Amino acid sequence: MGVVLADSSIVVLALPDIYRELDTSVSGVTWVLVSFNLVMALAAVPAALVARRVGPGRAAAVGLAIFAGAGLACGLADTLSTLIVARCVQALGGAAAVTAALELLPATVGSEQRAATVWAAAGATGAALGPALGGLLTELVSWQSIFLLQVPVALAAAVPILAVARHEMATGVIEPELRRTGRPHLWANLALAMVSAAIAAALFLLVLLLIEGWRLSPIVAAIVVSVMPVAAVVGGKLAETVEDARSRAAAGAILVSGGLAGLAFLPKATIALTIPPQILVGIGLSLVLSALTETALGGRAPQAIHGGWTISARHAGVVIGLLALTPIFTHEIEQQRHDAINAGTAVILDSPVNPLLKLELAERVSERLEEQRGKVPTIGPAFEPLPEDPGERAEVQQLQAELQDQLDRGATHAFSTSFILAALLGLIALFPIALSKEVEL
Amino acid sequence: MRGRALVIGAIVASLVLVGAYLAAGGSSYEPEKVQNPCKPRPWSNPRSLGEIANQFTTSALDGAACKLGVSREALARALATPEARKRFAEKYGIDDRKLAQAVRAGLVRAVDDAEEAGALSPILAGPLRETLKNIPLEEAIELVNNAKSLLGNVQGFLGLGSSLIEKFLP
Repeated sequence: MGVVLADSSIVVLALPDIYRELDTSVSGVTWVLVSFNLVMALAAVPAALVARRVGPGRAAAVGLAIFAGAGLACGLADTLSTLIVARCVQALGGAAAVTAALELLPATVGSEQRAATVWAAAGATGAALGPALGGLLTELVSWQSIFLLQVPVALAAAVPILAVARHEMATGVIEPELRRTGRPHLWANLALAMVSAAIAAALFLLVLLLIEGWRLSPIVAAIVVSVMPVAAVVGGKLAETVEDARSRAAAGAILVSGGLAGLAFLPKATIALTIPPQILVGIGLSLVLSALTETALGGRAPQAIHGGWTISARHAGVVIGLLALTPIFTHEIEQQRHDAINAGTAVILDSPVNPLLKLELAERVSERLEEQRGKVPTIGPAFEPLPEDPGERAEVQQLQAELQDQLDRGATHAFSTSFILAALLGLIALFPIALSKEVEL
Repeated sequence: MRGRALVIGAIVASLVLVGAYLAAGGSSYEPEKVQNPCKPRPWSNPRSLGEIANQFTTSALDGAACKLGVSREALARALATPEARKRFAEKYGIDDRKLAQAVRAGLVRAVDDAEEAGALSPILAGPLRETLKNIPLEEAIELVNNAKSLLGNVQGFLGLGSSLIEKFLP
């Protein structure tokens, strides 16, 4: 289940590579994430109904097989459209596997209550762990390996379920008729959608900032964002000390918003400054996702259907977050790129460097910008070779540092508005959290 | 741990983080705004011919950019390569003739600025201004076509008259 839920975020660090290799746009590549989450949101509840009808063992086994097959297709895709279609099919299989898993868990962990807790924790851990894992695979192997590796993992997960599926086939459907299902927990699911939108933005935007804005390699970015899953583990331990689910949810939403606001107001483009906000987001997401999932499931039967609603809410939130924020930050990136280039040119013009050398530098920088049109440029090569005269060399190096600073400022500032809006989404989630009744778990 | 303490802790941690980042300049970490080229740019006290040439070039670009209604930075990049100039011309609808006229106006403003800053004596500034005002359009276009020659000419011009200019340097 963790594999499927990590899958909604695992490709985040691979997006820049997919973006370059499949020759698409930022908006286009966003659909690799959006398509998966959209289908998960739409298919989760129907998949849970099917699992109830045919039996969770069979539903999970078939779901995992579809997930593995579609993963293989994703790994072999050579066009964006093929990749997106395969991602949709993968989400269908994932929805069946995840919702059926909730029905299967009580037999493994002992009780429905414990199953809900384990299921919720797996969801939070998967979401937090996904980007770091995806980044490592992208850098060490390729973006395709993210999907190809899921094939054996999903098939291995299906093996123990096959026995359950065989038993179901031998004995008929576990429950011949569907039990009446209670209404889904509106406020908890609504809060879950809003918080998920904020968390998706945190993961997606931070990764783009690190790789496209600050030009880190996927492996370095993966190490940087691994702070979040580590902090999520701490959040999980913290959650065990507080019984009140509503307080945990509120504290988690506040921490996610606080972390996002911190990312919106980074005072410098340095990795170290992203760590405190990530710690808040990591602890926050662990607290809020598990508390809201437990609230949505608590006292409600059947678990698969209500689990389906929480999956649906979470992934709908991710889709809303990505679709709402993508046009904002793509516009901001272009605007800030323009401002940064102007500021960088001003630095060159106002420098004490010899006017002829200045013009030569402006020419090389201009060519470099043209080569990297539409992206945040790396400016270093435009300054090579450095002048031989030590005085002139020092001046040019100073100039290069100042120009790079302007570009870093632009790249960082381009994400501010989106981070602020994502933080607001997290804060707005406090209203449905306040309206959600406490449930004894 | 009580639920209320957890919520209060979350609020405090969030406020401390955001407050610290704002105090460290987080709200103003963005590219510096470029100056309106029509506003006068103060000349620092020039001590050498190189410094005069530098500030003269900046003033000339400011004057030309002001005349064209674009930023000094956009114009400087446009003058860097013929391809860049072509893109600039298409984007702003500015032909070579208009560009040359603006460059001529820019050079005149540079003389004005140099004179006002005390970097150029009025005795020299007057004839220089007249020469630049009457520079043939083709010559101005040639200067634009080869921006390096524009700077070379500025330096060369100042270099040729260096002994004369240095007499009038403050």
